[in-house]
Amino acid sequence: MTTENRVSVQLKGLRKVYGDAVALENFNLELAPGELVALLGPSGCGKTTALRILAGLDTDHEGQIIINGKDIASIPANKRNMGMVFQAYSLFPTMTVLENVAYGLRVRRVDKEKRRVKAQELLELVGLGNMGNRLAHQLSGGQQQRVALARALAIQPNVLLLDEPLSALDAQVRTQLRDEIKRIQTEVGTTTLFVTHDQEEAMAIADRVGVMRHGVLEQCAPPQEIYLNPINVKVAKFVGAMNLLPAEILSANELRVFGQKLELRASDAAAPTGKTGMALIRPEQLSLKLGDGKGPASATVVSRTFLGPLTRISVRMVADSSTLFISMPSAQALQFVEGSSVDVQIHATSVLLDA
Amino acid sequence: MKKKLNVVNYIVLLGATAFFVFPLIAATEFSLRAKNATTHNFDNYIWVFKQDGFKTTLGTSFRLAILTAVAVLILMVPTIVYLHLGGARWKRFIEFVCLVPLVVPVISFALGVQTAFPTFLQSTVYELSFLYVVISLPYTYRALDVGLSSIPLLTLVEASRASGASMRQTLMFVVVPTIRSAVNGAIFLAVALSLGEFTLAVLLHWDTFPTWIANISQGHILGAISLSVLALVGSWLLVLIVAIAPKSFGSNKTQEVAA
Amino acid sequence: MAERTGPQEGAGPLPQKRGKNKGKGTFKSLLPLLPFLAFIAYFLVFPLTFIVRDAFLSNDGHFTWLNFEECFKGVYGHSFYVSLRLSFISAMIGAVAGSLIASAIVKTGSRTRKAVAATSSVLANTGGVPLAFMFLAGFGAEGLVTKTLKALGWNIYGGSFTLFSETGIILVYCFFQIPLMVLIFSPALENVKPELREANDSLGGTRISYFSRIAVPLLFPAFLSTSLLLFANSFSAYATARAMTAGTLPLMPLLIGNLVDGNVLANQEHLGHAMAVSMIGVSIIVMGVYLLVLRFSKVRS
Repeated sequence: MTTENRVSVQLKGLRKVYGDAVALENFNLELAPGELVALLGPSGCGKTTALRILAGLDTDHEGQIIINGKDIASIPANKRNMGMVFQAYSLFPTMTVLENVAYGLRVRRVDKEKRRVKAQELLELVGLGNMGNRLAHQLSGGQQQRVALARALAIQPNVLLLDEPLSALDAQVRTQLRDEIKRIQTEVGTTTLFVTHDQEEAMAIADRVGVMRHGVLEQCAPPQEIYLNPINVKVAKFVGAMNLLPAEILSANELRVFGQKLELRASDAAAPTGKTGMALIRPEQLSLKLGDGKGPASATVVSRTFLGPLTRISVRMVADSSTLFISMPSAQALQFVEGSSVDVQIHATSVLLDA
Repeated sequence: MKKKLNVVNYIVLLGATAFFVFPLIAATEFSLRAKNATTHNFDNYIWVFKQDGFKTTLGTSFRLAILTAVAVLILMVPTIVYLHLGGARWKRFIEFVCLVPLVVPVISFALGVQTAFPTFLQSTVYELSFLYVVISLPYTYRALDVGLSSIPLLTLVEASRASGASMRQTLMFVVVPTIRSAVNGAIFLAVALSLGEFTLAVLLHWDTFPTWIANISQGHILGAISLSVLALVGSWLLVLIVAIAPKSFGSNKTQEVAA
Repeated sequence: MAERTGPQEGAGPLPQKRGKNKGKGTFKSLLPLLPFLAFIAYFLVFPLTFIVRDAFLSNDGHFTWLNFEECFKGVYGHSFYVSLRLSFISAMIGAVAGSLIASAIVKTGSRTRKAVAATSSVLANTGGVPLAFMFLAGFGAEGLVTKTLKALGWNIYGGSFTLFSETGIILVYCFFQIPLMVLIFSPALENVKPELREANDSLGGTRISYFSRIAVPLLFPAFLSTSLLLFANSFSAYATARAMTAGTLPLMPLLIGNLVDGNVLANQEHLGHAMAVSMIGVSIIVMGVYLLVLRFSKVRS
């Protein structure tokens, strides 16, 4: 049941100010037809503001909202045809589940039988085909959010907007529903904007992830790109775990860590040759080998945390007493008991520098 | 969650303010009129304070209020605590009983009391306190019930019992301090009701502050108006202070509990 | 409180075992409630049984229906009608005006809301002589408001209006009915989540569809139940009625008061009791509807 209206969205130069606080600054984002983009960032970073501006729920902003080539900034929320799923508790409490899903069609004056059939079809899609006669408060949190999703899709929206739809749910339900949303979105093919503060969620669900901080979109790229090639130090530190290793800057594109030469990736901070800084290296880009406690890369194992297939080992550097984290397959980790002397090895080829 | 008010909202609020404020202003102006009716002074207020009845009936009403509040706490706190612990199966029944006074017009209740009570009970003004406990039931029950529902009562009681406290000590040192704001609310309701109640007092022929105001109104209208203004403004200011500045109170209390 | 050593015995796990040994445990589990029940029995149930009994007694102590027949006839029957009508109208005005005010207040900051709630609780409890005097001072023939309006060209006493007429009493009752509505209806309004409005908008609903299909169905139970409370409130109001009318308007509580105080004729206490019982009857019906509405309003999440 793919929808015909696959639309492209362009947000251009959005700016929004609440009193003295800038919620959104020069925000540019494009969504290709059928694409799912997740906006990721801590609370107050402006991600929800961007979504609400697209929905038409926040007005008084600067910038353009272009859908299929037309600027809709002046169109009120109820004429934009956007399906929205809120954090929680947005089902109409006096209506049954079926009436909730049919509501958007009802205000569009679709005739009764047609909207019942359509609503039922959507309830089946979200796996609640037999719950149509229940009231919102008779459903679990996860079920309520499924209904909210069905309700949003019932109007065949131009864009599906999901505002932290999973954050009020239990961990287990959250992963389950996350995968379900992805399945349904792929099936229906509606262009979707998903807002969340949960990295894992964003990485798992999105075609592209937009990382936001302080009202600015730092980088928008496929998940693996964000993780492996963060565009700058801010994104690198925000997404996933990061080790900071002392580095010596050799030239504009080369540096040395633990005597090993690494390529320095272009960064926004100009690196002055001869100075030192901190190289950003992920735990899985490091490995250990038993050593003799001498040399610049030697360290002592402090503790091991078993995480199933992987084990995270923390070591204290002999040189400067700083702590590093290394992840490795659990089978390999067995040999590195607490207190053993080890040498840290780097497997990254190009790294970012925190000057 | 501030939102913008629209024109209709402003008109409504303006109209409401006018409706509630003008009578009060008018009464205040009246109460300040001098005998010759051309100038204004505080004579009526001074006259009121000089009356014997002022002190005695106000005293009576305050004693009634204190007695009522104490009786409400002694009667209701253990009862509702029990309903939240072992006696949960009686909760609906007691809830229903506490709603009954809403159904009985006070005048009907007064009549019943008049015929039913033996003379020894009707010989003291403090019989009113027991009746005030009854007619305040729907409100005090609710206040305390809401308060107790919002705390992990069972855990607190078990912890206190495990530390060797008796049930009475548990109520006094653990439960009541924890639901302080609900208890305050119940006390406040009981006191307000006792200070303002008229019907029972007048039909059972007792002199309380409200019936005294009614009495002097027959001989000295301006004096009665002065009293009315005082009573209304006084209770309003009191309630406003309690409502708007409870934060400092509240934090002090939590510190006490923690200590 | 000394007799309260019982609770800890019952203070086991909260979910009570039901069924099997219920009969055995029933009395035991009732024990801690005895002080409360005894108090209620003596101070509430006992007086009530007496008025019900007396309502069915003739002056020489025999059973009779006559008191009830009497209280629906003539001036007493008329007072029934006047009381019901006045209570109905004042409840409706209070409910509508109160909910309008509440819906404006709900948009303001939390400090304002607290102050309004506190003020409402004071105003809802005003009554009797103080209230009567404020209105005499304001809306009496020589009152400040009356004079001001006259100066503006509107003589409110131009028609048949007096403060002691039915219209006048309703005006006075508004002074405590409206705040009572604001007080009780505001929490219901505050519970309406902004997401509902936004969901309506994003689904293409209009302002009208929001009100007619979402807000009104959601708030109607609270509105109706509070209105019924207002009705009962003005139906049983005695102090204000007594201070205001001086007997000009036949209201049930006033007639009862006169009857039992022996102001009218001696030996008519039992008629008073019958009227008191009838008033309880009306209140029971109203409260029955109220509870019914509350039960259905459980629909709300």
